[in-house]
Amino acid sequence: MNRKKLRALKDRLLNGVTFLSSGISVVVLSLIFIFVFSRGWNTLNWNWFTNDYWSVNMYLALPEGSQSSYNKPSDLSNTVYYSSKYGFAVTDYIDEQKISQIKIVYIDPSSPLLDASILTNGPDFGKANPIKVNMLVQKFTYMDDVGISHSAGSIIKQNAAQFIDTLETKSISIKSTYVQTIGGGIRGSLIATLLLILLSLLIALPIGIMSAIYINEYASHGKLTPWIRSSIELLTGVPSIIFGLMGMLVLYPITALAGANGTSILLGSLTLSIVLLPTIIRSTEESLKTVPDHFRSASLSLGANMSQTIFKIVLPSAIPGILTGVLLSIGRIIGESAALIYTMGTFINDDPSILKGSTSLAVQIWSVMGGEQPNFQLACAISIVILAIVLFMNISVKFIANSLRKTW
Amino acid sequence: MRTELSKYKNSKRYKSKIRQDLFFKSIFQLSALLSSMMIVIIIVFILVKGLQPFIAGYQYGTRNFFEFLVGLVYRQDQGIYGVGFIVVNTLISGFGALLISFPLAVLTALFIAKIAPKRLADAMQTVVELLASIPSVVYGVFAAGSITVMVKNLGAMLSIQTAGGSSLLAVMLLLAIMIYPTITSLAITSIQAVPEDIQHASLALGATTTQTNFKVVLTSAKSGIFAGAILGLGRAFGEATAVSMVAGNKLFGPTFNLFDITRTLTSTILTGLKETTGVDYDIRFSAGIVLMIVILISNLSINLLKNRIGSQK
Repeated sequence: MNRKKLRALKDRLLNGVTFLSSGISVVVLSLIFIFVFSRGWNTLNWNWFTNDYWSVNMYLALPEGSQSSYNKPSDLSNTVYYSSKYGFAVTDYIDEQKISQIKIVYIDPSSPLLDASILTNGPDFGKANPIKVNMLVQKFTYMDDVGISHSAGSIIKQNAAQFIDTLETKSISIKSTYVQTIGGGIRGSLIATLLLILLSLLIALPIGIMSAIYINEYASHGKLTPWIRSSIELLTGVPSIIFGLMGMLVLYPITALAGANGTSILLGSLTLSIVLLPTIIRSTEESLKTVPDHFRSASLSLGANMSQTIFKIVLPSAIPGILTGVLLSIGRIIGESAALIYTMGTFINDDPSILKGSTSLAVQIWSVMGGEQPNFQLACAISIVILAIVLFMNISVKFIANSLRKTW
Repeated sequence: MRTELSKYKNSKRYKSKIRQDLFFKSIFQLSALLSSMMIVIIIVFILVKGLQPFIAGYQYGTRNFFEFLVGLVYRQDQGIYGVGFIVVNTLISGFGALLISFPLAVLTALFIAKIAPKRLADAMQTVVELLASIPSVVYGVFAAGSITVMVKNLGAMLSIQTAGGSSLLAVMLLLAIMIYPTITSLAITSIQAVPEDIQHASLALGATTTQTNFKVVLTSAKSGIFAGAILGLGRAFGEATAVSMVAGNKLFGPTFNLFDITRTLTSTILTGLKETTGVDYDIRFSAGIVLMIVILISNLSINLLKNRIGSQK
């Protein structure tokens, strides 16, 4: 009796241990999500997706005698301060470095701010450059009633209310202004990532699908086939940093022929297309296998040859598998970093093009995490975007697997 | 009938059809060959490039291969390149991570495949899949922001000075989390593949379900479980970005102290590249060769271990 109890106790203990270790994984997963969301959620907004990463400083001159009276729009909230003399509204804004700034949120269509021109010496000197909404006010230089110029703005530690108050009560006209665009955005990396996905798939899909067709349709019992299969399978075990080294060494000369000098999106795509090959080949092959043999026999007996059968009968039936491969590949491309650091470079480029270096979203995280002051806010915000896309891809794969699977 | 057929066979249309078929076949064949050649290309090119610094007449000064392999100092600024201690560090961090992760992963797999009720098992399976789909750079951000803080606080509690938390322990914990889903999902598959009859046999002999699970199911599934361990270890050795974020950059070693900074093969390859010429560039390929050899040898040794365990039972 006692022994039986002991045994039951032991069993319960062992089951409890398995339960606990599963619990640990749940805790870890929630910790990761809590960490990423708590640090990055505040950065997420629409402007952040369309902003440049690098902020641009501009020193602008305003036309003479620019003071008049403007009507305040009725829909401004309490935290927005309006200048009726110059026709614009500002609000307080905390930037990523936790420095309080003054952000322009509204400009009247006839405001003198829209007539500003560049005051910095150089080729752009004198060009019209209207001040836009969402720029940050560093300094306004204004003239008071006795003709002495003063400064206002965040540069002398004013907040939005003090800044507008100064302009409204003391100024006669604005001489010049020093404004800054908001940086820290991901527009460049977003475009670069899209280009990367497009190019990598463009290279990897045809080669992968055709390889799968050869392995499954032509040579499923060939002597070389096991070798081909296992050498493709070996690629999955290669660490991605090795792919990066290989891209730098083997594929760089190819992109150099196309006119790239150093790291480029093209080089990154070529490298990634090799990384993707096993995924695409495997998922295509899986779905080719599900196409029943009597489809092929029927087509062949009607007089179609091998290639006609493949293009008109087998491939259309294999589309769900190919789609799965595409989705898995996109997930992989978005998450990939080590293979891209040496092939696409780590310089965040706001104006990406195929033959120039730029960062994907994942590599932008690597870039902002490097250096003396890692930028956790930005890194976590990008992580949220990456996680969302990757999770969406995985859910879609499951959905396709469940719903598009045909039963013959 | 026969003349009709031979007429058709001699027709232009038939010939072009044959030609088209051959054309596509050769294209398919070509791409299959290209795909399978990739691994060979990778290995050959990295071998050639990586061995260059050790061949006489190397333009930046020939290095001694033996000193490279067993060297205990790696300083780019002084031109001293020894990866011996880095290999040891890589092995310690990888096997340390496996030591933490392996038991947890196997127990979780058992829970999901055998013990948990259907609903809970499905939910847990999703958790494992989610962990598997998180990209390594996100793990890196998480580790740099939270695991290092944890290690730092732990160090402060034990009154040990840490370099802001970047340490061998942080690398191990990070890698343990990263390889956990790999091992778990392979273990689940192999546990589910254990045949019913041997479980029934065990139950019929009077063993409880739990005893059957631990003594019969786990040992029968050991082949798949060890395959998961091998894959996990490969991932641990090859992981670059996340590890570089928390490893620190030790110049000599090896590191045995859990709270001391370390340096792995991948972080050596990844960090600090300034120019794409010179020995500092080429030596990364040599480190790449060493990395691939380390992965290969550890795979073989785990396979050996698996066979040992098999013969005892």
